[in-house]
Amino acid sequence: MSKSKAGLLQGTLDMLILKALSLGALHGYGVGQRIAQISDDTLKIEEGSLYPGLYRLEQRGWVESEWDVSDNNQRAKFYKLTRTGRKQLIIEEQNWERLAGATMKALRAS
Amino acid sequence: MSRIKATVRFLHAWRHPDEIAREVEAELRFHIEMRTRANIEGGMRPNQAQLAARQSFGDFDRVKTRCCEISRSLPFDSNVLKMAMYITVAVVAGGAALWAVNMPHHSFTGVLWQLVAIVVECEFGNKGTRVGNLLYPTQ
Repeated sequence: MSKSKAGLLQGTLDMLILKALSLGALHGYGVGQRIAQISDDTLKIEEGSLYPGLYRLEQRGWVESEWDVSDNNQRAKFYKLTRTGRKQLIIEEQNWERLAGATMKALRAS
Repeated sequence: MSRIKATVRFLHAWRHPDEIAREVEAELRFHIEMRTRANIEGGMRPNQAQLAARQSFGDFDRVKTRCCEISRSLPFDSNVLKMAMYITVAVVAGGAALWAVNMPHHSFTGVLWQLVAIVVECEFGNKGTRVGNLLYPTQ
């Protein structure tokens, strides 16, 4: 699959955001950077679409945010995973592994 | 605990929509600024870098509106709440209907109460339809 064409399945973005935040608190821009980093730049997300995802996760109580000062001394909103968010990430990972396994099995069927 | 915080945030967003809109805007502008800096460090000229940052961000206003909407949405399953409202409305409207039918109407007061019951029934009947439309929206 070409790197630039790698789209995201619906619902995957939330899981990737949770995964990025499981490695430490980040601002929205940092979340996008970390997703790109942990996927070896394979997953390119339209940057604006990160924010509705972050707000949705916060609304569900899976992440929480607070304003702080960034590395370049600017005020930024930082997100971190909550305890329920961490539990949810485990559920999402298990679901994803099951789905990916089933898809691979279907593709290899002769 | 995080659910409680989410509910507090929801109530705050409803009471202070302008403040939330300003916060969202500041957050999104911070993102574009960070991307612009990265583009400049990558060798772009400032104008070019800013333009590229805006393009890679997507539709700023749409994202801002969506974030504000999410902040004002219920932090729990709203279908359960809507279903409870629907049942309440149905019970009140049904009660009013029964009352109107059984009310003695040989006196002026009786007829007056019957009219009140009919008004209540109509009002809650309309509300029930509106809640019903929320639950099962028509295409």
